[in-house]
Amino acid sequence: MLEADRITTYYGNACALREVSFEVNEGEIVSIIGANGAGKSTLMKSIMGVVKPRTGAIRYKGKEILHFPTHKIVGEGIVYVPEGRDVFAPMSVQDNLEMGAYSRPFSKSQTEELCEEMYQMFPRLKERRKQTAGTLSGGEQQMLAIARGLMSKPEIIMFDEPSLGLAPIVVDEVFERIKYINQELKISVVLVEQNAYMALTISDRSYVMENGRIAKHGASQELLHDDSIKTAYLGM
Amino acid sequence: MKDKRSILKYFPLLMLGMIGILPLFMTSNYYQTICCQAMLYAVVALGLNFIVGLSGLMTLGTAAIYGLGAYTSALCCTKLGMNPWAALVPVLFMGWLIGKGLGYPSLRVQGVYLSLATIGFNEIVRSFLTNLEWTGSGTGIRNIEPYRIGDFAFDTQIRSYYLIYAVLLLFIGIAWKIVNSRWGRAFVAVKDNPEALQICGIDIANVKITAFTLSSVFAVVAGAMYAHFNRYITPATYTTDLSISFVVMLIIGGLGNFWGCIYGAYIVAFLPQLLRPIGLSYKLIYALIMMCLVVFFPNGLIRDMKKYLTFKRALKGGAASENNSQDR
Repeated sequence: MLEADRITTYYGNACALREVSFEVNEGEIVSIIGANGAGKSTLMKSIMGVVKPRTGAIRYKGKEILHFPTHKIVGEGIVYVPEGRDVFAPMSVQDNLEMGAYSRPFSKSQTEELCEEMYQMFPRLKERRKQTAGTLSGGEQQMLAIARGLMSKPEIIMFDEPSLGLAPIVVDEVFERIKYINQELKISVVLVEQNAYMALTISDRSYVMENGRIAKHGASQELLHDDSIKTAYLGM
Repeated sequence: MKDKRSILKYFPLLMLGMIGILPLFMTSNYYQTICCQAMLYAVVALGLNFIVGLSGLMTLGTAAIYGLGAYTSALCCTKLGMNPWAALVPVLFMGWLIGKGLGYPSLRVQGVYLSLATIGFNEIVRSFLTNLEWTGSGTGIRNIEPYRIGDFAFDTQIRSYYLIYAVLLLFIGIAWKIVNSRWGRAFVAVKDNPEALQICGIDIANVKITAFTLSSVFAVVAGAMYAHFNRYITPATYTTDLSISFVVMLIIGGLGNFWGCIYGAYIVAFLPQLLRPIGLSYKLIYALIMMCLVVFFPNGLIRDMKKYLTFKRALKGGAASENNSQDR
């Protein structure tokens, strides 16, 4: 469905991605694991058009989207939930959700319905719908960022470090929702994580990144039992 | 505490009501003229609020837009013999055109460079208006006909006053709708969090251009109203000074504060007139007062006044009202 073909991305003179190829098929959860600075977020940002790769190709449903501006890529059905949440702090929870649907030609009642769906999935947000997003806890902000992403009815949703800075019990809750989004809403999921164990257990396939390259990829169950991965990422 | 809050809630209505009955107390033509000007300034400020107040882009070319509105309407009426109401159509088109034209550069130039570029725009427009033969060059355009409904002409001060008052109310309504729509939220997000805006699938360029277009539409309509109310326009009115004054109105009212635009406009329009009796040095005093307002009330006169009041109460009443100062 989504395919990055040997993309190379630079920040100034520094090469952040070197000929990275990456693929997401319909209905699967793909995780990308790796250490800090391995290029995981850069890969996400390259797909979203936030940073532009110098060479390579990105195709979505057979369509070349490398040169699309970010908002158009979102319009195509790919949504990115950035690291550190990035919610609109001065706006209420409700307004944040409505911003998520901005790019779609939804009517007022459709938007309302979608919001209601989100509140069902994240009951805590409903309690806080009138509160400004900046006053929410980290976990609630993460839920809000996810809900805001879902508001545009994407076909692929990409999460960048959704567990960052959250308490373990909240992390479990977030992963629970991610599984739900994949299984019940039938949305393909890309998951970028430092929490390698979590990422490998939840996903179907995984990519391991090192120094801007894909070092390994394969079925998550296999990687989970791979010795080099065990020592490098799982601390076993 | 509670009743104080509810009084503040009715402040906008109170203010609009007061503006409505003001001519009963201010019978002099002179002050009524200034009131009309203040209301037109308020319309411009409401529009400018989209760019400067909400989106946080500092533009200093508003006077030129205001002027182009006035000239478009005046020229359509004097040269083409159009009805002033019909002239609003080319005026609105002009506003749309300027908005698009100014919006595109704003995507490339940012911060202080945008301010400089828009000052440049202001000066270019002013020099064209001063030097072109068919805009009446330095002497401007005279004998502009007033608005009419049937035989009723809005040609006296008091009649113009209520016409402009109606326009002000209309534009307050429109601006209120916009500020509370998804557009208004997108404007705020441009200032607050542009990355997240993109990620929500929103084209930042589009949002900025929309802000510019709306703002210039407000300004050209106010400009046209001014032309037919004053019935005489000269290019000397539309200086960068006036552009800066528009921004000052917003700052006095508090950047991004909706109702602040209106009392800000009144303060900027009236203060120099009230200080005139002082004599030659009135401009100096005016500038000093403006500086003090900006330094001591950086978030707007009323908003900061509230803060100072709660602060004083907190000093008197101990820690009881401490959390009130937080939820402003």
